[in-house]
Amino acid sequence: MVQKGYRKYVSLLAFVAPAFILYALFLLIPTINGLYYSLTNWNGLNPSYQFVGLDNFIELFTEDPYFLDSIWFTLKYVVCMVIFQNVIALLIAVLIESRTKSKGLFRTLFFMPNMLSLIISAFMWTFIFTQVFPQLAERTVLTFLGQAWIGDPKFSFLAILIVSLWNGVGYMMIIYLAGLQGVPQHLKEAAVIDGANIYQQFWHVTLPMITHAITICLFLTLNGAFKVYEVVYGLTGGGPGRSTQVITMNIFEEAFSNNYRYGYASAKSVILFLIVLVFTVIQLRLTKRKEIES
Amino acid sequence: MRRKQLASWGVNLFLTLGSLIALFPIYMAVLNSFKSDGEMFRSFIALPESISFANYIEAFTRLDMLSSSLNSATVSMLGILGILLCASLAGYKLSRTPGRLSGFLFLLFIASMLVPFHSIMIPLTRMAKALHASGSIYGLSFIYIGLGVNMAVFLYHGFVKSIPRELEEAAYIDGCGELKMYVKVIFPLLLPITVTIAILDFLWIWNDFLLPLIMITDTSQYTLILSTNVLFGEYNKEWSLILASLVLTAIPVLIIYAFFQRYIMEGITEGAVKG
Repeated sequence: MVQKGYRKYVSLLAFVAPAFILYALFLLIPTINGLYYSLTNWNGLNPSYQFVGLDNFIELFTEDPYFLDSIWFTLKYVVCMVIFQNVIALLIAVLIESRTKSKGLFRTLFFMPNMLSLIISAFMWTFIFTQVFPQLAERTVLTFLGQAWIGDPKFSFLAILIVSLWNGVGYMMIIYLAGLQGVPQHLKEAAVIDGANIYQQFWHVTLPMITHAITICLFLTLNGAFKVYEVVYGLTGGGPGRSTQVITMNIFEEAFSNNYRYGYASAKSVILFLIVLVFTVIQLRLTKRKEIES
Repeated sequence: MRRKQLASWGVNLFLTLGSLIALFPIYMAVLNSFKSDGEMFRSFIALPESISFANYIEAFTRLDMLSSSLNSATVSMLGILGILLCASLAGYKLSRTPGRLSGFLFLLFIASMLVPFHSIMIPLTRMAKALHASGSIYGLSFIYIGLGVNMAVFLYHGFVKSIPRELEEAAYIDGCGELKMYVKVIFPLLLPITVTIAILDFLWIWNDFLLPLIMITDTSQYTLILSTNVLFGEYNKEWSLILASLVLTAIPVLIIYAFFQRYIMEGITEGAVKG
């Protein structure tokens, strides 16, 4: 079975080549090119462009208020998503885990929205927000539903959160459920015998046993929330004005709909990549440490 | 005991309300897709006066949903087949070959899973143009293979570790060549993870919006989501048609969910735990 010398490499390369070539063409090389373009003033239409060093990066931090606004808005969104998505998903998972007969049914129902694409979810919810809710507010006692969900920046942020949570909670719930199934029954029983109430059981037995699931879910939420695009595109398109514009949308606008400044937009995407990287590395460090302790 | 029962009722009530919220938008979309615009505005909540497929028929005839459905199906099929073929070959070999080169290649694959799509979309459009891969669903499928193999290689790589080597050694002694061994011995054993990857990739490609948006301009090559997007963007929103096309886009996904729920959930936890 052990092959000698160059034959081993030939067979390795032959098996890996199909995957690697497509991967290199459409992912690896574009990643490297993106880094390079971010240092140029390429505008997409003009075939020639110059190397401009860090000019793009200086410009986007000093002369581009829209970009900075989009970073702040995205951060606000990320914080809300990290908290609510995980709290709600964990709550639902714990409650479902406590059921016996209806466990499977509830799991199926809560996960279902996650099957739909974010853009389809956003379109569906636009129908709910702009058509169904106003009618309900008008004709029933649910008057609080009658808000300008899409038009008023305060409510459109809420609308974006609602749709993201509606779509995303099920996914995290599945991971938490898998984590909860790994909590040994005898530990819970021991805690009950020691007189722990439900909250004490949760805080001191369940939670420490599922820190691995928490690490994963925080990572996935952080990673996904920074890249939010479809929900905002489908609901508000970044408006009214630019009040709900997220980073990805700002990049998209810069590259494809406004001025085709590909070099400058590439610099923005490098910043996005760095932000995601820094936040997830910090988060993994912090939560991994907790995992080892427990 | 009374209190415990009460709490149990409370939990049931909470979960039932929660799942109603989860279902509400889907239910509303399906329900109202059978109504005309006029009937809809009389009441969104009421059941349709009669089950009418007029919206669907109009979506198919006027908006050529048939061709965009076929396009979506074609892209998904080609993309999935390509990913399964390329990634199983690579994942198997990388897992079975010790050494620095194979370790480096594997690392290169999995490290790229962190790169956000938005960071590569600009250079990707240029690359796709240069390779004449943009503008058609066939080129699009190849791009999906390039973007999707990293995750699939990762999952195959992990799965191959659980297959005993004795089988391959026995086949090798019997004089089986490498490619034949892969086809006859290895690939059949990879079936469980292959199903998982196929389903996850179907959900990804079928539901994807941004890549087709930047790659496809010709309406004859539109995927279902792009058609829906155009319809949605029109000034005078015809909700009856939009809802019909939303439901059409959602149906295949929900069917897959109904049949392969276990695989989907296992795929998620599998991918998550190993990552």
